Amino acid sequence: MGNALFIVWRETIEAMLVIGILHGWLSARPDARAGFPWLWGGIAAGLGLAVFLAVTIMNVQTWVSASALEWFQAIMPLAACALIFQMVWWMRRHGAGLKKELEAGMASAADRANWLAIAVLAAVAVGREGAETVVFLYGSVKGSANGDIALGSAAGFLLALAAYWLLSRGTRFVSWRAFFRVTEVMLLLLGGALLVDGAEKLVGLEALPPLADPLWNMGFLLDDSTRTGGLVAAFTGYRAAPSGMAYTLLAVYWTLALGVLLKLKPMRRKG
Amino acid sequence: MNTNRFILDQLAAVFAAAVFLLPTVAQGADLLTYSVVARAGRFIPDTLNVPAGVRFKIVIRNEGRDAIEFESLQLRKEKVLAPGAASFIVIAPLKPGEYEFFDEFHPNTGRTRIVVK
Repeated sequence: MGNALFIVWRETIEAMLVIGILHGWLSARPDARAGFPWLWGGIAAGLGLAVFLAVTIMNVQTWVSASALEWFQAIMPLAACALIFQMVWWMRRHGAGLKKELEAGMASAADRANWLAIAVLAAVAVGREGAETVVFLYGSVKGSANGDIALGSAAGFLLALAAYWLLSRGTRFVSWRAFFRVTEVMLLLLGGALLVDGAEKLVGLEALPPLADPLWNMGFLLDDSTRTGGLVAAFTGYRAAPSGMAYTLLAVYWTLALGVLLKLKPMRRKG
Repeated sequence: MNTNRFILDQLAAVFAAAVFLLPTVAQGADLLTYSVVARAGRFIPDTLNVPAGVRFKIVIRNEGRDAIEFESLQLRKEKVLAPGAASFIVIAPLKPGEYEFFDEFHPNTGRTRIVVK
């Protein structure tokens, strides 16, 4: 039961975090109501994507589709990383003045693109890890019809749901400013992890040169094949033995995040 | 603000590039091939001896009763397999040393070592 709990919790927490933050952000801005249908639509699309991917994973008949699947699984986290970066950018620029901008009719075109980005980010967050959860649950149901696993899975899912609830209600417990600061850093950390995940997969597919392989080996400090190490890896992009490529990209990412993104000021209203 | 459109355009370009690159990826027909079977939360065999500097393929067959996730962050691969499913991974040439695969769904028992000489 403990194992099923951990696996389902781990596979669903990422999606819950992303959706919780988006939800919390939209809720705290009464003028951002227009974003909700996009968020819900994205989640629904993500569930569809998860089931579709799971079915693809389970019916891999030809080697060709296996390789197409690997490509898709490498590109998806990179897309999510770009969307997260752009989302934090947008949240920062519109932190205070969204209402004014809407009234001034300034936000229209840019915001439509953003609602779409919210939908795609939610879909990718749910679809990516959701597919693995579906295969895992399918396997345990088909395999041993084990009550323990069902119970563990349910508990894991509820725990992840609790994280979502805390985040989506976050602004009621702490100030808006604190909520924004914390969730912004969480999103950026997750974005870095997704970048490393995608880059390492492309290196594994030999689509990107590793540059240095490995750059170093810190397995003696924290082994990323252990439960703790795997969790740290999933949320920060930590690798015991990363490729030079992945960590060069991560360095560029954090330079941009710290040097440009976190220094952005809210956009001023023109005129 | 043009940044959004710019980023969305970039995403589209990345997807398009990936689709065009697909046919050029070697399908791994004549590669050195190893077979691994997953059963009752274990991998059989638990050690593979692989020559250094050679690209090789591992065919994984899940003969167990529940799903497995054959994964190695070190070797940059992960493969989820439902019960009864089979698939393969191609691993780029490795330097001598020991590498490890583990089953994320059976973390306490499922491990395979790859010894590269």
